[in-house]
Amino acid sequence: MTPAQAATETDITVSEAVTFPDGIPGFESCRQWVVMAAEDATPLRRLHALDGPDASFLAIDPRMVLDSYRCELSATDRRRLGATDDEPLVWLALVMMENNGALTVNLRAPIVINPRTMMGQQVLPHNCLYPLRHVLVDAE
Amino acid sequence: MLVFTRRRHEAIMIGDGVEVRVLRVGKDGVRLGIVAPTDVRVHRREVYEQIRDANQSAVVSQGRLAKVTERFTKAK
Repeated sequence: MTPAQAATETDITVSEAVTFPDGIPGFESCRQWVVMAAEDATPLRRLHALDGPDASFLAIDPRMVLDSYRCELSATDRRRLGATDDEPLVWLALVMMENNGALTVNLRAPIVINPRTMMGQQVLPHNCLYPLRHVLVDAE
Repeated sequence: MLVFTRRRHEAIMIGDGVEVRVLRVGKDGVRLGIVAPTDVRVHRREVYEQIRDANQSAVVSQGRLAKVTERFTKAK
């Protein structure tokens, strides 16, 4: 495990706005985001867009969902985040509520934030084929 | 839409830095090679669409926020 992968969310506080130069797929015009604690639901985090359409998400560190979660960032992704090789990064997987009440989490395309540069992006790694909808909480 | 006819090993340049080359033409598909600057991300369109659809279904309204967090904390 590299130091970047070993960093946990609790090591890092993302309190100011994070810039996503391309937004995220489906929300391309949302360039500025804040990450907040989700009240009473630790370790869930809330991602909220400050511009573009009103968009709020719940997310969780994918390594808290799967201990073995490993995702290698491409040189392109690293560069876009302004990240050095061993820099601690914040990883967040978006949580979805399915129609049957189940909560699933997108481990396939995590959001990665560099707290030093305050740059973020949703990565679509070619080398980590985790499920797009991994069940976090079963249906009601 | 621009339309080109390309044979095997022929390529198309997009801007100064992106090259799309036909590597193989088969019965069921065409194998393409893409050369792009390191800051240009290249993805299969359907992967991008899947992620977009998942993102759209992940949006939580203020009202739904409480319900999702409640589901989460109850299950913990």
